[in-house]
Amino acid sequence: MLNTPDSVPAAQITARPAAFRARPAARPALVALAALALLTGCSGGIAQSVSTAVKDSSSAVATARIALRQDMDGKLTKAATDTSLEDGLKEVEAGRSSVLKLSPATQEERVAQKQALDVLDQCAAGFATARAALAANDGGSPSLPDGDKALADAQDALKQLEGAVGSR
Amino acid sequence: MTSPSGPLPPVPRVAGRILDAQLHLMDRQVLDHDGVPVTTVDDLEVSGPALDVEIPPGTAPPVITALLTGAVLGTRIFGGRPPSSRLIRIPWKDVAEVEVVVRLGVSGEPLDASWVERWVRDKIIARIPGGRHDPR
Amino acid sequence: MKRLLGVALGVLTAIGGFVDIGDLVTNAVVGSRFGLSMVWVVAVGVVGICLFANMSGRVAAASGRATFEVIRERLGARAGLANLSASFLINLMTVTAEIGGVALALQLASSVYYLLWIPVAALAVWLVIWRVRFTIMENVAGLLGLTLIVFAVALFLLKPDWGALAGQLAPSVPEQETVWTYSYYAIALFGAAMTPYEVFFFSSGAVEEGWTVKDLLQERINVLVGFPLGGLLSVAIAACAAVVLLPAGISVTSLSQVILPVAEGAGKLGLAFVLVGIVAATFGAALETTLSSGYTLAQFFGWSWGKFRRPAEAARFHVAMIVCLLIGMAVLATGVDPVQVTEYSVVFSAIALPLTYLPVLIVANDPQYMHEHVNGRVVNVLGMVYLVIILVASLAAIPLMIVTGAGS
Repeated sequence: MLNTPDSVPAAQITARPAAFRARPAARPALVALAALALLTGCSGGIAQSVSTAVKDSSSAVATARIALRQDMDGKLTKAATDTSLEDGLKEVEAGRSSVLKLSPATQEERVAQKQALDVLDQCAAGFATARAALAANDGGSPSLPDGDKALADAQDALKQLEGAVGSR
Repeated sequence: MTSPSGPLPPVPRVAGRILDAQLHLMDRQVLDHDGVPVTTVDDLEVSGPALDVEIPPGTAPPVITALLTGAVLGTRIFGGRPPSSRLIRIPWKDVAEVEVVVRLGVSGEPLDASWVERWVRDKIIARIPGGRHDPR
Repeated sequence: MKRLLGVALGVLTAIGGFVDIGDLVTNAVVGSRFGLSMVWVVAVGVVGICLFANMSGRVAAASGRATFEVIRERLGARAGLANLSASFLINLMTVTAEIGGVALALQLASSVYYLLWIPVAALAVWLVIWRVRFTIMENVAGLLGLTLIVFAVALFLLKPDWGALAGQLAPSVPEQETVWTYSYYAIALFGAAMTPYEVFFFSSGAVEEGWTVKDLLQERINVLVGFPLGGLLSVAIAACAAVVLLPAGISVTSLSQVILPVAEGAGKLGLAFVLVGIVAATFGAALETTLSSGYTLAQFFGWSWGKFRRPAEAARFHVAMIVCLLIGMAVLATGVDPVQVTEYSVVFSAIALPLTYLPVLIVANDPQYMHEHVNGRVVNVLGMVYLVIILVASLAAIPLMIVTGAGS
């Protein structure tokens, strides 16, 4: 089959090997996956969302406290501390907006949402103080210890809330 | 070479190497005579009788007339056939050697199969400063 | 002497080049949430990448063919195209993550918002690909990436309770986590260690540098010494997070948390080193993934490719890479969190692993390509074992992603 043609024939066909035929594509597995996604997406509810937001925020606040302490010890540059605080604030904001979007059905859930929002607001305020302290690092107020104090208070509030959410 | 009746004759002995078009040609890299990649063998063009026609005895066996590339890859995968005028052919007489890769005996530069490469080079890459800079 | 230097350089480059944004983020996340209980996954991943990088390097040296040419020849056009689409998209995701990682690290160094750094990072990646020689590019990025050793130094300076740390090494699920999140992150960590782009890049790089069978020994030393040491670096990242972040109840969600343990242990000097290291590692990986996207496309369609050619002689290859960088920039410009892109990219890498590894394994056994350099029996047995591991990880990844809500 490797000889050159001496004349070009009238009809030419392109080779189309049999190996490339369409396969029937039945995907029951995909349907099962979609159902699973639906199930997991709907479960949980308010308590779940609040507890996730609280957990994320307490991680963010703890990070910010470490960063501030390192900054005060001269271990972290201002740029890195600043970025840490910014990232932490973003995390708290994300948690806050997810709690804000919940639509509570019972009185108990309404109380839980309100409590969580109060605490998350306190966290955000703590971050604001800490960032202001970092920006005013020339001896003005608030000072870095003030920022750390605000974050520590927020952390305590988060811990209490965590306990409350956990006991419910 | 076929008898009209009776059992099939044995496969005729062919001088040289036997190549499986599917295994040794399709989807192989095509290099030009300088070893520069030109394309991949996206499909093959085979001479032969039209489909669904009784093959009269004594007809010459079909031969590969060209390597095909371009849009034919899409139609090979998803079905259909581009019109014959749209096929980009590398005539079989340009093929010098078939091993792990298919080597051409000609330069890849002026081939139809290289037109997209030429277009991209002339219209885009060559216009960016340093486009012709030798990295070595 | 010169030969010894070459070997040393290759090994050092392999260590520095092993860690990328996926390893950085995933190891820190895992360390901060699961302590050292997943070190075994890193070990399994490192042995796997040694095995397959070595194999694809050998294929490239023995046959002069890079991975994706071989994938198409073996799988045919249809399955090859499906494979290309999946591999290419995941690689594009990794490009995006790496550029985002460069930008995040530059923000940590400068406090200029990372989105402003993204065009700078992408342009720098393109300029290096456009102008710089392949070997220089590889060696500089790899050697600068070596500064990440500061993670190991910081770990010692932190003076952890080594006994307690060693006690975490046994695979076990911490009480605040479920077995599902544990498995999910195990797969992510496995995907981070074995990312497919490393194989594309390794085999194409061998062609770029014109490796022949004579270079196989050097290649083997690079892989077998460099990658395990790179794996140790990954473990040091996880250990740092386990020592500083885990007790404070911090689970890592941003790059600024990854560097805190280093600052804790080694102060501002350590911070300087780690920032240089992260920028170099992610920048180097951005180069490798961008090149890999060009390699996969060019090799599938048979275009002329390679940094050893002038850009004008590999025009479509270069245009493809420019387009990939533009897409990566556009994705990041939407404000999507690069760390999240990274977390998804490592899991999808794990899903795509069989697509790359199976064809490599097949071709490494094909005497038509390999002549007398086909796989030995031991390598084949190991290869089959890994194929099973890879398949299990790949199949389990998506269900686990859904069950755990992507590990939250």
